[in-house]
Amino acid sequence: MVTDRSQVWSPWTIDDIHAKAELGRYRIRGFSTFQKVTHFDDLTFLSTGLTRFPLEGYKEKCNTRTVLGALNAENPLVIETPIYITGMSYGALSANAKTALGKAATMVGTASCTGDGGMLQAERAASEKLIYQVLPSRYGFNPHHLAQAQAVEIVVGQGAKPGTGGMLMGVKVLDEIAEMRDLPTGIDQRSPARHPDWLGPDDLAVKIEQLREATDWSVPIHVKLGACRVTDDVKLAAKAGADGIVIDSMVAGTGASAEVLLDHSGIPTVPAIVMAREALRELGLYRKVSLIASGGIRSGADAAKALALGADAVAIGIAALIALNCNKEIPESDFMSEVGVPAGSCHHCHTGKCPVGITTQDPELMKRLDPDEGAERVANFINSMTMEMALLTRSLGKGDVHSLEPEDLAALTIEASAMAQIPLVGTNKVFGT
Amino acid sequence: MRALNRRLKDLAAEGAEITVTNPGARHNTGVGIFHPCKINIEGSVGYYSASMIDGPEITIHGNAGWALGENMMSGKIVLTKDAGASVASTIRGGEVFVGGNVGARAGISMKGGALIVKGNSGFLTGFMMQKGRIIVCGDAGEAVGDSMYEGEIYVAGNVGSLGNDAVVEDASEDELLDVWATLERYGIAERPTFTKIVSGKKLYHMDSLERLEKAAI
Repeated sequence: MVTDRSQVWSPWTIDDIHAKAELGRYRIRGFSTFQKVTHFDDLTFLSTGLTRFPLEGYKEKCNTRTVLGALNAENPLVIETPIYITGMSYGALSANAKTALGKAATMVGTASCTGDGGMLQAERAASEKLIYQVLPSRYGFNPHHLAQAQAVEIVVGQGAKPGTGGMLMGVKVLDEIAEMRDLPTGIDQRSPARHPDWLGPDDLAVKIEQLREATDWSVPIHVKLGACRVTDDVKLAAKAGADGIVIDSMVAGTGASAEVLLDHSGIPTVPAIVMAREALRELGLYRKVSLIASGGIRSGADAAKALALGADAVAIGIAALIALNCNKEIPESDFMSEVGVPAGSCHHCHTGKCPVGITTQDPELMKRLDPDEGAERVANFINSMTMEMALLTRSLGKGDVHSLEPEDLAALTIEASAMAQIPLVGTNKVFGT
Repeated sequence: MRALNRRLKDLAAEGAEITVTNPGARHNTGVGIFHPCKINIEGSVGYYSASMIDGPEITIHGNAGWALGENMMSGKIVLTKDAGASVASTIRGGEVFVGGNVGARAGISMKGGALIVKGNSGFLTGFMMQKGRIIVCGDAGEAVGDSMYEGEIYVAGNVGSLGNDAVVEDASEDELLDVWATLERYGIAERPTFTKIVSGKKLYHMDSLERLEKAAI
């Protein structure tokens, strides 16, 4: 079909070339990929009819309690909903945002997670269940903080920018952040991509044992992978002894990344879950090693579909920030004058100019986020998601979100059928098999 | 190993002087000990030995595998023979002394403290080092101090090559006296001259910024 303008040289592409011609380097932004990829909207649930009967959608009990990392840990991570808050650093986020997320997690009986840059004491105090990340940078890593954690997460890769380390522009590396990370104030921090003390999966096995020794074998040790070569990576992580595997897809968010990585690396969440599930099944470790999916989880429907595909839990990042007011015009903000785009289109986390006080270290901007009010909104949102999951689960005739399975789903597109290994609606055909 | 580390932690909490015999070069010997105490290990140890410690003084009479003393907060580790790769990686305080040679990535991502090597060090010594001091009495391999942020690396022997953004700076007399005094504490009486390597600080910032990034500064 001939159109009235070039489909290859779109206005965005032309603008991108102009920007790089001026800049002389890769461009950076926050938020998430701008690629359109197959996602949970391309799947639908097959609720009950005459072949099976539903549970009362608004009343009957539906279990959402979730146990993660029970393979080796004396104290697995037990959360009241299969949704927890993913790792986002103090530095990328303001102290108020981290505190609000920790409080929200506690309010709904779930966990929050530290991020690249060490543990913020206020988040530790707010979050009853805190996952402590072990990242390649080891910024702020403190074995005393590790010993306080309810779970440990070794970050091998991040879905938004797999194969590279974290990034925090100098405008956000203020004195306190720099001190916590042992870095010079104001530098454009580009974190290491490789761990300093181990390289391959055999070394990882020893690292996992070290963390078990450091935590007296009491808490789960999870491994977070950026979703790329999922089958092999999941098998290697499981064989190295991980109690849980977090598979973080290309749809996942970030506070700052080179655009080229955001848009041109990794694979979407739907196939990543399926590949991880099958990899664990092949090892006989499916439902023994916990599988956590992250990347673009926006609602209870997304979370329920992730569980139906094989995940034991999901982790949310951007969704929790949006619940905090990300991309919402509030009385104190003026998105157009402050970041040059309207609320709803902002992806400027890396500039530290967040008009709603979330991804900033500016003391004045930070005041725009009240941690208590923010916590309540995030808690409400997670409760809403959990209720949506339970409602869908009951409509399928089940009383436990962990009973959701691939047979509960149909694919709305051929691509989704192939990626999810689910029959296309109106057919009995699974594409790609 | 689990039983040994549990026992070490319990004894360390009492401030005991502990001897470990027949360590068998096993990985993760002496992890996560948070109390000041003295531990003598009579033999070689594996990966991650004496790692994530805060306070103890640990002497190892033998060799060590990768990541000896990793993420130590404070304390002292003395190794009489050679260490593998990533010795003293990410340490935030304390001192690690190695009587022999060390492998690649010695002192990688160090955030404080000191690493002293009587012999030679492998490639990428002090890679992405953030703070602290590395002293190598012998030769250092390729790419010394690559991408380091702060801290100093002193090499008495040959420097294989400088890493990205690592530069040589003249050591002051006071600095040399301090380095020599450190060596004396470990029984090294010689007073060699050193090449001092620090960050060139050219990688601190992006070369250019977009309009909105500039506005944010």
